[in-house]
Amino acid sequence: MEFLNFLLILWAAWLVWRRPERERLAFRLLIVSCVLMALLFLIGTHGSLVPGVNL
Amino acid sequence: MSISEDRLRAILAWVVIVLVGGPVAAAVLLGVLKGESPCILCWAQRTSMTLIALVGLFVIRYGPRPRYLGMVILLGAWGTYMGIRHSALHLARDVGQGFSAPFLGIHTYVWAWFIHFTVLIVVGMLLLFLRRIAPEEGVREPGRAGRFALGLFVVVVAANALQAFASTGPPPFIGQGDPVRLSWNPRHWVWSFEELQPPRISLRGAWAIPAPDPAAADPDPAHGPLTGLPALRVTTWERIGVPLDGTLSGLAHDAATGRFLAVTDRYAVVLLDSTLSRVLHRVVLDPGFSVDLTRLAGAAFLGGDTLAVLSTNKSWALLVPDPAADERREWRHFLETDGQVREVGLGRFQTVRAHQMYVLSLAFDPSAREVVTVSVPNPRHRTLVVSRFARTDMVLSSEFVPRLGDGLALRAPDRSLAEYVVTGAAVADGRLYAVSAAYSTLLVIDPADRSVRAAYALPDVEDPVGLAVRGTDLLVAQADGRVAMVARPVS
Repeated sequence: MEFLNFLLILWAAWLVWRRPERERLAFRLLIVSCVLMALLFLIGTHGSLVPGVNL
Repeated sequence: MSISEDRLRAILAWVVIVLVGGPVAAAVLLGVLKGESPCILCWAQRTSMTLIALVGLFVIRYGPRPRYLGMVILLGAWGTYMGIRHSALHLARDVGQGFSAPFLGIHTYVWAWFIHFTVLIVVGMLLLFLRRIAPEEGVREPGRAGRFALGLFVVVVAANALQAFASTGPPPFIGQGDPVRLSWNPRHWVWSFEELQPPRISLRGAWAIPAPDPAAADPDPAHGPLTGLPALRVTTWERIGVPLDGTLSGLAHDAATGRFLAVTDRYAVVLLDSTLSRVLHRVVLDPGFSVDLTRLAGAAFLGGDTLAVLSTNKSWALLVPDPAADERREWRHFLETDGQVREVGLGRFQTVRAHQMYVLSLAFDPSAREVVTVSVPNPRHRTLVVSRFARTDMVLSSEFVPRLGDGLALRAPDRSLAEYVVTGAAVADGRLYAVSAAYSTLLVIDPADRSVRAAYALPDVEDPVGLAVRGTDLLVAQADGRVAMVARPVS
């Protein structure tokens, strides 16, 4: 999924550079990529938002 | 001082160049040159830095629109959180035990923390001096630096995508918690879903440990994990004859002087005479400050005049009766005192096997000069661990999980010693005696061969909270202040 995420980022960057009139699509790709990145991080921590410490 | 939009876009072009050409490109180079492979958390942080750079490209192309600024602040904050969360896994390990190779002496997860925090600072500074926010419409020419940033971004992100394909695979495979070195040979590629296993979701993860509640345990020995236990009947009952401040939670006996040491759930520490009916000294500990004490759970005499008390979170305090105690000096240690006790030590036991487990017992082994605790199993860590600490420095000496000795049998294959909730312990004649509130059972543990040599049902005992040795007897203290005397088994 990390590979897919970098492809999404590449796509968004390409739109910004070569097809700037597609700003709305590029920004939506940015949002999707952010959500995917956050989701993968949460999967990596097994949903444990707080590290192993005393709160 | 203020900066115009054009100036801001020029600055941001260089920020993107530094961010992408620095950490994001260096991460790929580390993979190519040194075989470094990011874990799933590293990938997320690298992606976050890339996304921040992408937002920079948006600003270069479309101007500083509010939603871009909002997005970069969110990414900076989330990235800082990710850096802290990831670093927390490794920061407290022993020296030199950080994860993966350091860069300039600092590991990549700490760099991610620093970089995201720096992004927040830089964005704050730029906003502070920005003259005005741009209108929504309009596409800007990126300029020379902007074009270079765009080109560099595409090249570096493509390289990252290539590494991600080799290292984590195509969708739906995801990054690994424990990756292997990067290889361009497909035979060595590891594509897995291992981070989805087990699918346990929890805010605190392994640290969600409930406080021990021995009163809720099943007291019936017939339901315990061990079968065919002989019964140990109470020969005599005694009672603590003075009012205690709170409920009794631990008891110890000093063979040399005949005195008793009692502790309660309200932090009272009471030194009693041999008849349990006269208070020799009494203090109420201040549970806060310096070292926090949870509910007191154990007491022991450490030889001489030194008294030890232990709280459920493995914090301990050492006290000494002293008629010349300076009451003004001791005020910081005690909420109440008779003025004749000094606190001489305060600390926390550090355990390894018993990590993330509470304790409800304390004993002292005079022959080894070691302090002993027995862990209380919990839903996340189902083990019964005996931990031993050197009296000289109160540092861990050894830990073991006692095995089942000859002649003892589990009721069923899925039963275990970890079902016992040891609430009192005492050492005598080379044996560790441990009483369990769950299934009212006495365990006799041999520290030499680390086995449970014998076990006995205590059908007459209710809610045991402490255990003491007096000659050939064992004294089982109950929460109601009664003390049951049973013959001490020698096996």
